[in-house]
Amino acid sequence: MKKHLPVLPLGVLFVSFLFIPLSLMLIGSFRSDLTNQWTFTNYTEIFKNAYYNQAFVNSLLIALASSILGLIGTFLLCLCLLSLSTHIQEKVASISNLAANFAGIPLAFSFIILLGNVGVLKLMIPILASFNLYSWVGLTIVYVYFQIPLGILFLYPSIKEVKKEWLESVSLLGGSSWYAWRKVAFPFLKPSIASTFVILFANGMGTYETAYALTGNNINLLTVRIAALVSGDVFAKPNLGSALAVLFGLILILTMISVQWKGMVKNK
Amino acid sequence: MERNGKKQVKKAAIAIILACFSLYYLLPLIGTVLYASSTKWSKSLLPDDFTFKWFQQLFNDPTFLAAVGRSFLLSVLVLLTILGIMVPSIIWINLFLPRVSQIMEKLVLLPYAIPGVILVTALLRTYSKTSIPMFFVLIGALFISALPIVFLGITNQMRLINMKELLEAASTLGAPTPMIILRVLFPTIRTGTILVSLMIFSSVFGEYLLTNLLIGGRFETVRIYMLRRMNENGHLSSAVIVLYFLFILIIALLTFVMTNRQKKQVVPIKQRYNRQSRTLEKGVVVDNVLEHS
Repeated sequence: MKKHLPVLPLGVLFVSFLFIPLSLMLIGSFRSDLTNQWTFTNYTEIFKNAYYNQAFVNSLLIALASSILGLIGTFLLCLCLLSLSTHIQEKVASISNLAANFAGIPLAFSFIILLGNVGVLKLMIPILASFNLYSWVGLTIVYVYFQIPLGILFLYPSIKEVKKEWLESVSLLGGSSWYAWRKVAFPFLKPSIASTFVILFANGMGTYETAYALTGNNINLLTVRIAALVSGDVFAKPNLGSALAVLFGLILILTMISVQWKGMVKNK
Repeated sequence: MERNGKKQVKKAAIAIILACFSLYYLLPLIGTVLYASSTKWSKSLLPDDFTFKWFQQLFNDPTFLAAVGRSFLLSVLVLLTILGIMVPSIIWINLFLPRVSQIMEKLVLLPYAIPGVILVTALLRTYSKTSIPMFFVLIGALFISALPIVFLGITNQMRLINMKELLEAASTLGAPTPMIILRVLFPTIRTGTILVSLMIFSSVFGEYLLTNLLIGGRFETVRIYMLRRMNENGHLSSAVIVLYFLFILIIALLTFVMTNRQKKQVVPIKQRYNRQSRTLEKGVVVDNVLEHS
């Protein structure tokens, strides 16, 4: 017990700023915003209300689209990087950290300058004139910008582990390089790809700042809805917001478990 | 011949793909820099003029300086609590509480399952009607969300230098505890701690979600200022973004230098391990956890 004493302050902070608030949020999600009585209405309202259903679907779709495109981009970029010298490789990897830092308001605004309503690129390139940055396609393009650096952070170290000798021995035995990647490298990388996907997916679903800076409250995303319900507006409904947040957390945890669990079964 | 041709096609393909990526990543940055340094820019490849007036205006704006000051204050306070409470605890856990360390390793990915919005909901529900100032709650929230970076960074550094054996060796040789702490623990953990501090500093400096939703308008930090200006004057807010980008560039350069120093520390140890025909277990690389909150 004496051994645990020095860690007590850390534990206290964790309990008071994470465990207690999360538990109270869970309890609060079962209480009515109007009468403060025990109820399931928060959850039933979410399932009945088309507006909230749409927020779930929208968030899921943008998270899926941006994480799949982000993964493809990451993979392509990693493959190209591998053909460069290790010196340049390391530099690109650290530059990609910078890009990851740029997410949020700065990123949103940079894209508004380029492709917003009076965007510079739009005026210069006529084909882009009808492009709408505030649409789903626009949002996805902006999301992918910060998904790829994050993907590189997690996937690049594993891709570097794919030994050239493995691929070469396949080609010596007469297999094409596509075959080598499909049958040798991909099975090796599968667990890392799966966990990178989970991280990108959760990151895409949890994004608030970029979406909010681009479209304000106009876009119906889960994070934007929750923020609007709990932050100090006159119409704040903290308990309904809690119920949304609980469901949101459940989705993320379930995704994490299902992908990780598959990996665990494979290992056995 | 055929092989050569194939190689060239491959090389060209790689060059094209890399060019596309660089365009995608550089155009927004170049656009912002040009926008920040011009009074008017429309319908032409390059802006009509070049000016520093937005930067001048920015430095003369007391609300901007105050916002920088607030972000700075917040970063320093969070960093101090982390250095005072979290770092020593993690060192202690890694040295003496292996079971807690194992649990922590699994919990470290949890913040991905609890995005900022969920944490804010929970904290607002719990503390918004109490007498505890929301400023403290904000520091607590930022403290909690820094855990993955701090834990992975410090643990990684400790594994790289094999801290446990070093400390055991020092105590078997009869060194008194204060001397062990001053002469063995501090110097070896320094690089890792500086790296972690840089990451925390820059991430708190550019924090938006927690700050805005927990205390919002009453405490205008750099990002909140950025968003407010964005709706008023595009050129001015580009100037803020350019300055912010320079700031993260400096932090990134410092990080790069420190990472190289860390690698230099590790190389001799790695060689020794290789000679014993054992491979150093690959820990989580610090780079992996840089800034993705």
